[in-house]
Amino acid sequence: MSLIFRRLARNNPRNIVTDAQILIISSRKLSLVPSLYDGDQDPAPKFFSSNVQILLKRLTRPDFNKVFRKRTNHGFSVLKTPSYKFLTNEELEEEIAKANEKADRLLQMPPVVKIQQHIEDVLSNDPALIGYDTAKYIFTDITFGVANEHRIIIERDPDGTLRSCDHDVRKRLNQAYFPLNGRKLREPLMFADIEKLNSLLDREKYEFVLDRACVQYEPDEPSYQRVTSITYQHVDSKSKYELLRSTRHFGPMTFYLTWHKSMDNLMLELIQGGAVREAVLLSALRQDIHGDVANGDVARTLAQQILPTPVQLTKPETLTEEDIQLDSKCVECIEKYITGTSSMKSQQELALQGFREYYQQLIDLSRGLKKAHGKQ
Amino acid sequence: MSTKILTLCNIISRPVNVLLKQNNVTPNLKTNFSTTSVSCISFFNKLPAEKLWKSVTSVSNAGAKKGRGRGTGRIRIRDLNRGQVIGVGKINMLWPGLSAPVIRGRELLKQQRLPDDQERLEKLTKIRDSMTKFRRIRLNPIERGWSGSKLPGRSLGPPDPIGEDEFTGFDTKVLQLRSLLIMKGSLGRTRNFQAMVVTGNGQGLAGFGLGRAKEAPAALRKAKNRAGQKLMHFEIYNGHTIYHDFFTAFGKTKIFVQKKNEGYGLMCHRAIKEICQAIGIKDLRAKVEGSNNLQHIVKAFFIGLLQQRTHQQLAEEKKLHLVEYKDENENFPKVVASPSEVRTKDQIQKNETLDFTQYVMKDKVILKKRKFPRFYETMPHYKVYLKKYEKYRNHEKIRLNLKTEYGEVKSFLTDKYPEKAEQEA
Repeated sequence: MSLIFRRLARNNPRNIVTDAQILIISSRKLSLVPSLYDGDQDPAPKFFSSNVQILLKRLTRPDFNKVFRKRTNHGFSVLKTPSYKFLTNEELEEEIAKANEKADRLLQMPPVVKIQQHIEDVLSNDPALIGYDTAKYIFTDITFGVANEHRIIIERDPDGTLRSCDHDVRKRLNQAYFPLNGRKLREPLMFADIEKLNSLLDREKYEFVLDRACVQYEPDEPSYQRVTSITYQHVDSKSKYELLRSTRHFGPMTFYLTWHKSMDNLMLELIQGGAVREAVLLSALRQDIHGDVANGDVARTLAQQILPTPVQLTKPETLTEEDIQLDSKCVECIEKYITGTSSMKSQQELALQGFREYYQQLIDLSRGLKKAHGKQ
Repeated sequence: MSTKILTLCNIISRPVNVLLKQNNVTPNLKTNFSTTSVSCISFFNKLPAEKLWKSVTSVSNAGAKKGRGRGTGRIRIRDLNRGQVIGVGKINMLWPGLSAPVIRGRELLKQQRLPDDQERLEKLTKIRDSMTKFRRIRLNPIERGWSGSKLPGRSLGPPDPIGEDEFTGFDTKVLQLRSLLIMKGSLGRTRNFQAMVVTGNGQGLAGFGLGRAKEAPAALRKAKNRAGQKLMHFEIYNGHTIYHDFFTAFGKTKIFVQKKNEGYGLMCHRAIKEICQAIGIKDLRAKVEGSNNLQHIVKAFFIGLLQQRTHQQLAEEKKLHLVEYKDENENFPKVVASPSEVRTKDQIQKNETLDFTQYVMKDKVILKKRKFPRFYETMPHYKVYLKKYEKYRNHEKIRLNLKTEYGEVKSFLTDKYPEKAEQEA
């Protein structure tokens, strides 16, 4: 949170009042304060709404070379020999469709939900059992086929109270009876020790941290939200978004930044990288979540036009007239966003100006080429 | 030989003693002199060492032709006087003018007996025996070939430059060096050396050459330079392997070559391995069947490599897309080659081979040998062992986990219930 404050302070000269306090925070070594989804508002309905899901998936900018990259040797000391097939056009299309499905599975985003509430459910109180034993008794229903979250786990305290267990006990017992692959009974040191986590983050092992957090924790656990929040803030402060693009964690990160209204650094990165269409999508996302964007409806309608176009993995070399039309609309939309909503006005304006100049050159080049080829 | 001579010595010395002992028996004489004249004359002290040695080591002309007097058990001529100096003997005497200077400083040295050197005899035998031991040619491990100090497998460096064209980046490896016997009208049976080498730059250019000469180095040089003149270019897939599996043969030699993924290495005949290194192929498996003739293996492998088709050529032949599936990439269909026009499903004939491996191997199938269980696995004690050690199967993992958690092998119960030995202490 300190980071968010700092950026606000840097770009909004109006916030002079809090300047002195903020200086104290920012003068410390980069220490990130985790912010959990623990407010009154539940992020789940927004996150799972189809609009937001589509926008987040598009903003992930999936590059199949990265999605299907080699991660491990799959337990083999030597990689398996590749296989080859002769395919007709139709068969190839089928295979590509299958690969797209697989990519969807690989890019499925970890859910963003509200933090869990304590379970305080006293089933019965039997004072007759006081002093029967000094230990707690825990009863677990290990019937096959019951989901972990619906499993009945109750405890009998020494004072005779019979009640449902809290989440931490439930997790331990579920893991003891039905172990999940990769999940440890005790919290791994990389999450428990903040020094170790910071060292990993400084080495930019963001994907590793987030992947392991997904295995170790449930999405509504405070620890999960703490770890992911710190990681997202670290990525944001270093502007290393490229490391998480084409992974399943980019969507939740964008959602996190937008939810806390600190996505202007990401917006800046998008404009600097020339991805104006994605910048419009980001402002449309903010409109969907908060509804506080200047001319947000324009951004939304523009997003509907952008979504059918193919994902731009690299900067285009030539442009069609439709592209030029769409991009100029996007630039206008972003301009309004910057003047109306942004908290990093000067930098984003500068970046947009740079993009305009570059784009004008590109337009001249592609129109000149068209003329040279004699097409109208 | 030395033992022979020593035994001869014993034989000679024994009769002398016997004679002396016999003389001792005469009562009139108190001294041990012998009255009879003993003439110690035999071939042994009459002939010079050279002739004695010859009598032992020489082999008849016919025997030499058969190969006698060579190889193991061969007798070599040795200098038995090695390490001996005039004036120095069993008794350590100082002889001024012989084993020492006459005047040392201002003092005139006198003949005198010095304390005996106990290790003298040992030193002498050590020096004498040092000649007979076989001395191995020491080679740097990097320079070694396939076997010891033998030439096959060793590097010869790049071929000699032709004019101003130099073979930079090339290296030559010896594949075979052997002697051939040729009959000639005037000279009879003469010996020739034949060498086969492969040269390459590790980036797709390679060639092999055969050279014959009277001497081995000349044969190697000829072969090397011929190999440099016969370079061929080979396409390497992704800079590490061949384009596809193939079958190739030359004479009675058959080779099945398989494409492999990165990190597999070269699992093949050592000659094929050297060829692959010369070309720059890093991963491949090859099985040689039939004749093991090295020259045939080399020729067959080169022919097979030359008959390879690139993926684009294969796609054009079949008029179908060629798609690669890699397990490490989640079997993502990667189109490696597309033809200019693609056939539809109706245009494919029913009896056409569509399986890629079958197509490139030209319907040849590699024999996969059945794996038999290890000799102990069928025995009853192995079952006992399995049963006995089943309960320990996870202990190593648990120990490791405990060490990571507590720094030693202990659990959360150790503090409550310590070990008995510790309690007593």
